[in-house]
Amino acid sequence: MQATFTSFYFLCFYTGILVLYYLFPAKLRWGVLLAASIAYYLLTGNGILILYPLAACLIAHGGMHLMVRIEDSKKRRGVLLAVTAILLGILVLLKYTGFGLLAPLGVSFYTLTILGYVIDVYHCIAQPGKNFLKLALYGLYFPAILSGPVLRYREDGEQFYQPHPFDYRQVTMGLQRMVWGFFKILVISERMSLVVNTVYSDYNSYPGFYIWLATACFAFQLYTNFSGGMDIALGMSQTFGLKLPENFQTPFFSQTISEYWRRWHITLGVWMKEYVFYPLLRTATFTKLGKWGKEKLGKKRGKQLTTFTAMFILWFTVGFWHGGDWKYIIGSGLLHWGYIVVGELMEPLFKKGLEKLRIPAGSRGLQLLRILRTFLLVNIGFVFFRADSVKDALIMLRQAVGVWNPGVIVDGSLFALGLDVIEAVIAVVSLLILWVVSLLQQKQSVRERIESQKLPVRFILWYALLFYTILLGYYGPGYSAVEFIYQGF
Amino acid sequence: MTREKIFETLNEVFRDVFDDESIVVEEETTADDIEDWDSLEHINLVAAVEQELGVKFTMGQVVTMKNVGEMVDIILEQIGE
Repeated sequence: MQATFTSFYFLCFYTGILVLYYLFPAKLRWGVLLAASIAYYLLTGNGILILYPLAACLIAHGGMHLMVRIEDSKKRRGVLLAVTAILLGILVLLKYTGFGLLAPLGVSFYTLTILGYVIDVYHCIAQPGKNFLKLALYGLYFPAILSGPVLRYREDGEQFYQPHPFDYRQVTMGLQRMVWGFFKILVISERMSLVVNTVYSDYNSYPGFYIWLATACFAFQLYTNFSGGMDIALGMSQTFGLKLPENFQTPFFSQTISEYWRRWHITLGVWMKEYVFYPLLRTATFTKLGKWGKEKLGKKRGKQLTTFTAMFILWFTVGFWHGGDWKYIIGSGLLHWGYIVVGELMEPLFKKGLEKLRIPAGSRGLQLLRILRTFLLVNIGFVFFRADSVKDALIMLRQAVGVWNPGVIVDGSLFALGLDVIEAVIAVVSLLILWVVSLLQQKQSVRERIESQKLPVRFILWYALLFYTILLGYYGPGYSAVEFIYQGF
Repeated sequence: MTREKIFETLNEVFRDVFDDESIVVEEETTADDIEDWDSLEHINLVAAVEQELGVKFTMGQVVTMKNVGEMVDIILEQIGE
């Protein structure tokens, strides 16, 4: 079985689990999820690797119970440091060193989820459970293990073990959200990837406008793939009666880079803030730096000195977490640090400029410009993220600005990038659907809006989306749309 | 120190940290009510309160306090009525 949510066998697997889940008595349902999570892990990859997440849970379990029993604060701290070192050590060893060890599925995600729990127990804001199997479910929970969301035990841990009665509305709404996720991944993301791959694999033949276009396509490819995966993960969880934290909140509508990071991969940002940024700022070194800065540079600059320094470490960590390569450390790390620092330093200038031009701070046009600017800056980061190396990214950026070829927009060359005219129309229409739904979503949940409509409207909307996805979705080899439809009979 | 007195002191600290003389904090005041009170400023604020009132918040308290009222509860617990 493939690990991806969009594979046919995964859907069969999930359906089976859903039925089993509600066949069991409510009190035992968490056990079904644990069994399913273990089965998923064993079936989708190298089964033996399940020992890694199990070991991580075991170490966390032991560490948490030790910390609860020990009164001496130094010893407690020692336990915390030991558990942290082991968990992070394994992550770094598997992900970043060339030891030739196979990395287990989801190691980047479950490590953060489990480690956050351990740290909360250390800070006495979460309690360890008695039953190790319950912790194993929390660490291995199959909808979240592949790509998050990163969970926070003190907020969403306990619900896993509570009895969830069958609730028709929750199950329906969960399934609806899953369909939306499939639409994002199969219809949009897969189409975008064709254009992206053509240009990124041969950027010398596609300079100038091609690079802008392919990078924007990559932005949507990544967003629809990642957030679509979240829709499926959160939708599946909803069908089990579980509420997982949201990971995206229409990030491309952000007006600033800081806002973007509060709306893109939210659970990672929250984790980094709580377990890296805050503790860092509270260390003696940073407190001293803050005092020194305030005395020497004044209140405002002194504060900037400490926050910018701590943010540098934070962004380095975020980039490093995405992958050890410099293209990640820059593209989804330090570049964004640079944006935020420059933005903060320039803000007084911008303010003055706007006052001089008599542009009201809340004007629509200005908001739109800010959204476009933020999207552009984010896209520069994506060039690093997607290119093979930092060197390739730099060459591509130079060719993006150095070659002026807007003629390709009208002469039909764009239809040779992997999407012909019809395919391109489907892509654009699908992106428009995504755009409208995202706009509506800002004010109220679109699923609830649809829910309040009359039955025929509801019926038509959901079935239209379902068939649109089935007919126009891209599936991997051996998995055609036709096959999919026929297997339904 | 009384609850009222702590609120008075907090008012001054908040005004100083956020550079806004119009701030008046109440029991239910949260980060949403004060424009610049984001995650960056939160730690600065906590540090300023600690220094001014001679208290120490644990990391658990720093990340879980929901409003100014809860902050005052913790302060009162540490310095007594």
